[in-house]
Amino acid sequence: MSRRLAALPVALAAAALLLALLVPTGAGAEQRQRRIVALTPFAANTLAKLGVTPIAVGQTLGGRERLSRKVSRVPILKLSHPMGPNLEQLTALRPTLVISSKTWAKGNAAMEKLGIRVEAHDPRSIAGALADTYKIGEAVGRKHAARELLKRMRTRIAGAESGIRRHPKVMLILGVGHAPFTFLPNSWGGSLIRAAGGELVTGGAGSASGFERISDEVVVAADPDVIIAVPHADPEDIPALTRYLKSDPAWSSTKAARKGRLYVSVDNSLLQAGTDIARTITGIREAYLHN
Amino acid sequence: MGLLEARGVEVTIDGAEILRGADLDLAAGELVAIVGPNGAGKSTLVRAVSGLRRPSAGAVHWSGRELRRMRGRELARARAFVPQRMPVPAGVSVREAVTIGRSALLRPLGRMTRADRAGVDGALARAGVTGFAERALATLSGGELQRVQIAIGLAQEAPVLIADEPTSQLDLGAAVDVAGLLRELADDGLAVLLVVHDLALAAAVADRVVVVHAGRTEAAGHPAEVLTPERLGRIWHADARLTAEGGRTALHVAWVASR
Amino acid sequence: MIAALVVALLVATGASLALGAVKVPIGEVLDTILGRGGSGPNHQIVAALRLPRTVEALAVGAALGVAGAVLQGALANPLASPDVIGVTGGAGFGAILILIAFPASVALVPVAALCFGLLAAALVFGFAWSGRNRGSTGKIVLAGIAMLSLFTAATTGLLASFPERAPSALFFIAGGLTNAGWEGLETTWPYFAAGGLLAAFLIRPLDRLALGDDVAASLGSRPQLIRLGAGVSAALLAAAAAAIAGLLGFLGLVVPHVVRMAGGTSSQAFVVPASALGGAALLAGADTLARTVRAPLELPVGPFMVLLGVPVFLWLLRKAV
Repeated sequence: MSRRLAALPVALAAAALLLALLVPTGAGAEQRQRRIVALTPFAANTLAKLGVTPIAVGQTLGGRERLSRKVSRVPILKLSHPMGPNLEQLTALRPTLVISSKTWAKGNAAMEKLGIRVEAHDPRSIAGALADTYKIGEAVGRKHAARELLKRMRTRIAGAESGIRRHPKVMLILGVGHAPFTFLPNSWGGSLIRAAGGELVTGGAGSASGFERISDEVVVAADPDVIIAVPHADPEDIPALTRYLKSDPAWSSTKAARKGRLYVSVDNSLLQAGTDIARTITGIREAYLHN
Repeated sequence: MGLLEARGVEVTIDGAEILRGADLDLAAGELVAIVGPNGAGKSTLVRAVSGLRRPSAGAVHWSGRELRRMRGRELARARAFVPQRMPVPAGVSVREAVTIGRSALLRPLGRMTRADRAGVDGALARAGVTGFAERALATLSGGELQRVQIAIGLAQEAPVLIADEPTSQLDLGAAVDVAGLLRELADDGLAVLLVVHDLALAAAVADRVVVVHAGRTEAAGHPAEVLTPERLGRIWHADARLTAEGGRTALHVAWVASR
Repeated sequence: MIAALVVALLVATGASLALGAVKVPIGEVLDTILGRGGSGPNHQIVAALRLPRTVEALAVGAALGVAGAVLQGALANPLASPDVIGVTGGAGFGAILILIAFPASVALVPVAALCFGLLAAALVFGFAWSGRNRGSTGKIVLAGIAMLSLFTAATTGLLASFPERAPSALFFIAGGLTNAGWEGLETTWPYFAAGGLLAAFLIRPLDRLALGDDVAASLGSRPQLIRLGAGVSAALLAAAAAAIAGLLGFLGLVVPHVVRMAGGTSSQAFVVPASALGGAALLAGADTLARTVRAPLELPVGPFMVLLGVPVFLWLLRKAV
């Protein structure tokens, strides 16, 4: 009787040991089968958060992408128009999945012809980013992890959006050279501003691309409380463009300029979908909206 | 039935009536000179009967066949047209140019046969240009170039050669050269239609002379019968007389009105 | 001379297949070409990426060379090139219209380039054939210049309206090949074939035209028809080339001159095929350089064409003049 009783814990221990050996192997095999390339920082960082390491990440020439530290050791594929990554290099990596963007539409088509699975995700709203996060999780077999991640993200975002006291009128402007483009509500930056409690002013513009070229007169007529300018140029040209935008004479008559509420945002956080949404919203409220 | 029969040819260019009814006949082995004052329509007439310009009225037949229906190789085989001066392309030799003339007889993607190459050599020989067959066109003198143009025409192996003022831009020696060549070709059986300014030359080489005046063919016949002092006065408004003796023809002109 | 061009062509083709951003052993390259390859990434790189690209380079290079040759012959103008008949301007506009205003339909770029390229050429010939002096060289050149200016202005307007999408358009304007597989050729091969066939039939007529309109007429040809045919041929070839490779200049203008000087003859029976061989070799060679010199970055092919072509051109020019 005592011997049978002693056998049970041994059997259980053996079973536990066996399971412990098999499960990680199973996951490792799964990961060995999935060779994933992430061409956008959103994709790379999302994968990192899901505990998946891509075999390569994309970086545009002169790239100012903010990549998670978890992927800092991952080899980089340089991206250029119109195909994106060098297809020979990509093929040599034997990827099973490439998470790309609509910018590289031509390259995506070519990759599919080579038999590589391609998914393009260009989230332009917070809801879109959350949906895409789940889709990425699904694609790499981490549904459960994705759900958990989404729960944490939603909580943090709700926290970042709470207690908004004021809703200042905000104009978010993309400076391409000296031509101003306004961010629309259907752009990444636009939806972040609105999440942060700003009332996004666009001067009546509307376009499917998320941006619209406007005249400086529209800026003056809208007379926003806050102007946030985002320079769009090569890294070497950013300082000069920043100086120009900060002192743009065309906007000097607006409330924002007169009250010193004209800011320049130099990092990519408003331009490019990121994964640290809550932190970005908090940053916007503290630095720009003061609400 | 002659090689060429043209009746009542009318040509209008940019609204202006250049030819108002011209007739022309040509038989094998005869050299016909077409003469007339400037603007009379000589060049227009030969270009019209050659098919280079469509007549607005009239009938033109080549060996009984209507010109209007003739195209491509058939046209090239009926007559060879030698313009006054052709553009001189760089990088083309005499032989290459004459070969181009011969290619008019080939099918669109047909090859040159030995017979064709012999034809080219023959044309070069008849025109007397074999000596400089490998030279580039751009290196030739006026007379040499005119001979080559005739060689190109000969390569077409048509029974009729039409030359539009071949001697007008040549010096005396070269003009004599070319005139002699054309007479030789006629003697050998080629029918030659020649547009000339020089009445003495026309009288010397032509079997028949056709006078074109104000868009009409005025007279046709033996040079001595046609180029009378009366006609020279009426049509060219010149006091002149044609004489022929000892193998030379001359035009005696009262250049300056007698005082 | 033809032999030398064939050798150059074979060398360029070989280099294009063997070299690239990834080192593929020459044995595997040969295996893949001869159909014995396996299915690894090296095989894919050679068969699905380099092979179609090489064939595209040969087709586009040959097409532009022939287009330039027939136009220079038909217009009797040494500065004639496919740009002159408005094709490149129209093709550029059509492609950029899609790239910028309808970026989701990127597959339509070759189609739009073809359509607008042919439209531009049709307009040029329509204007040149109207009124007095129908089909004269002067009218064709002037109409071509006007059409080029029109489409260039329209293109610039488009670019100015959507500057944030300009980078993808700029690649097309600079001209170059991409690893897009067989798609481009599948759409455009009928135009290459039609244009090339027409050019072949025009070789003898163009030689006749070189001796002047009168001599050509004497030889039974119709000068205006020959010019029209040359225009159609060049338009088909140049529009198809632009649909695949963007606005590549230089080739159509310079290659016929190079082969003329090297061969010492202007006979179209030599110049047209030689321009095809020379153009194909030049573009295949230049494209190989463009994608290997700073791999994995693919540089625009234009500067490399100039790098390879201009020294040869100048050296021959010294000998000739």
